[in-house]
Amino acid sequence: MRVKKTAYTLVDKAISSGDVYNTAAVYGISDGRRRKLLENMVFSKRRELLRLASWAHTPTEVLQMLSDSDDSFVMLRLCKNPKTPSEALTKLYVKSFKGSSKGVNLTTHIAKHQHTLTNLLAIIIHVNEGLEILRAISQNPSANGQLLMELLSYSPQDEKYKVFDKSVASNPSASAEALKVIYDRGDAYTQAAVIAHANCPVLLLSLAESDSDVFVQRKLVCKCVKLDVLANLAENKDTAVRCGVASNELTPQSLIKKLMDDSSFEVRRRLAKRCDLQVADIERLMNDEDSWVRLWIARNKITPLRVLKVLSYDTCHEVRRAVASNPRCPVVLLEALAKDNNAWVRSAVAYQNKSPMRLLVDLAKESNIDVLSGVANNRHTPQSILQELALSSESDIRRGVILNRNARRTTLMPLLEDPYYLHRLMLVDNPMLNADDKLQLCEDPDFNVRFAAYSWFAGLEKSTKTWV
Amino acid sequence: MKILVAVKQVASLDEDFEMRVDKKDVEEDFLLYDLNEWDDFSLEEAMKIKESSDTEIEVVVVSVGPVRVDESLRKCLAKGADRAIRVWDETIEGSDSIVIGRILAAVAKKEVPDMVFAGVQSSDQAYSSTGISTAAYLDWPHAAVVADLQYKPGSSSAVIRRELEGGMLQEVEINCPAVLTIQLGINKPRYASLRGIKQAAAKPIEEISLADIGLSPADVGAGSSMSRVRRMYIPAKSRAQMIEGTIVEQVAKLIQIINEFKGA
Repeated sequence: MRVKKTAYTLVDKAISSGDVYNTAAVYGISDGRRRKLLENMVFSKRRELLRLASWAHTPTEVLQMLSDSDDSFVMLRLCKNPKTPSEALTKLYVKSFKGSSKGVNLTTHIAKHQHTLTNLLAIIIHVNEGLEILRAISQNPSANGQLLMELLSYSPQDEKYKVFDKSVASNPSASAEALKVIYDRGDAYTQAAVIAHANCPVLLLSLAESDSDVFVQRKLVCKCVKLDVLANLAENKDTAVRCGVASNELTPQSLIKKLMDDSSFEVRRRLAKRCDLQVADIERLMNDEDSWVRLWIARNKITPLRVLKVLSYDTCHEVRRAVASNPRCPVVLLEALAKDNNAWVRSAVAYQNKSPMRLLVDLAKESNIDVLSGVANNRHTPQSILQELALSSESDIRRGVILNRNARRTTLMPLLEDPYYLHRLMLVDNPMLNADDKLQLCEDPDFNVRFAAYSWFAGLEKSTKTWV
Repeated sequence: MKILVAVKQVASLDEDFEMRVDKKDVEEDFLLYDLNEWDDFSLEEAMKIKESSDTEIEVVVVSVGPVRVDESLRKCLAKGADRAIRVWDETIEGSDSIVIGRILAAVAKKEVPDMVFAGVQSSDQAYSSTGISTAAYLDWPHAAVVADLQYKPGSSSAVIRRELEGGMLQEVEINCPAVLTIQLGINKPRYASLRGIKQAAAKPIEEISLADIGLSPADVGAGSSMSRVRRMYIPAKSRAQMIEGTIVEQVAKLIQIINEFKGA
């Protein structure tokens, strides 16, 4: 335990680095004079301020702090940043309302933002600054059922508000009551969206059963519908509707048997993915002329071993690869597929968790990148081979070692110097490396890596107050 | 033997931006700077020649620009370039790509390289003329959009393949020394090693003035350029139309539009 420091040391280290991303990472664990210093650093350069306001990784507390800025472009970027917290959005709305945004329209973005508080959305509706803003709210899942109902009440007053029906129909917060209103006055597209909605009431599903519109039928077939309705839909001319029947968990064996003869390979592909297929159906689909049907059978977890064995000789290499990837594939088949003349198939064997060490040792002698990447990823690969692969000139192979949960500290250590910044970034969270090892990442030439490292130490500081 | 690689630090835009007061460019705070993508490939091509050669080859990178350009030059040093040169003088501001070619040619006359590589184009301005104008000022042969290069250091000629329209390649034998503009995909550019980055941080960047290369302020800048930027602006939106409706409706309308275009 050589490294043992306090939050202040980490914050001081970030301050002395002069790097705005380092300071952003530790802002959450700073206080008092140090926090003020960090704020001054962030606000000193407009370029950095603008970048932090739109950066996807900027911590929430920093975005909150940035909402103090009076720069209209910083404000705009904050309104567009999906991570900006509710409190900051409220502050920005108030500033915009007072005219501080200097003509830059923030309200539409605040109305769209998923973190905007429902109360604020209600205020925006009442201020009513125009159709686009109200429409943004109708699409926002943060708007509750009550607000959406209010927007729907605009529609009978003016034709232009009819667009709300379509957006509310797709809004996950729409209530059953709202969906009923929309369905009754909607066109086929709107009705289809209502039927697809998770909150669609049973009453509307019953109504849709007699609907002849194909868009409605396509959505209806994915819902829990009565068996007689499914039987009718299985006869439908539209392939997508029949695909829906083939995928529906409630579809009975009698209908599955019927769909086996379907002329569309798309329907048969859906059947091949089912987890309730009977052995006779699987044996029939394994001989399908469409290679994707056979591929889905080869991937299916319920496929019997004797079928997997037949498919391991399939003419299509993607089918053989699917056999090798199947979690039920026995070692004896993996041994055979490890000698396949197609590298893509051997690669699947290398990635397969059931592949024994001796098979991986053999595959490690290959030069193919896909095969070696699989060996590097596999938890059964011996540490000595992982150490060799960690030094590979191919970044995909080295990444395999980084992703391998069994790669030990000594194996991973050389990868802290990997030329590809993303690899170094991935090591920041690796539990096999300790804080001592990760300290060097705080000095990394890439700002993304430095930020991740400082964030990791700051997170550690929040949870334990010491680095161990 | 020496290869001179001309590189540029290019600017990219980050979503919303403000125009400069003179309306001739974007306000600098909104620009993100990085090494031009094409230049990564031309540097790698030079490095490949250096690393596969029995004779000693010096790879020198050169750029025209203010101090911020040092960051891009260091990136090249980290990848293995032996030296880096930056040419700057306030009077260079406003120069067009032809004048930049004149400056690069002046550097080449001073450095006396056996080959000059440049990117086909820069991602921000896309004139595709800097490399070619450099060749013109040097009075050297040139080849543009080079997708493959076979060159033995010291040879009096090289064989190149140029990328043409329709997937065609044109094989050309070119006399050396020559200026080649290198196309993306000619090789797989390396990442700089951490060791390389640390070493590059300690290496000097040679800052040279116009006088050092025999030019005067009268030879550069907007006044000496054959073209000048009058204004930069976003044109008013015209024919674009958002497809409205539910997702199913949008898809149906999209299919209808495609069918109409196909005449179906």
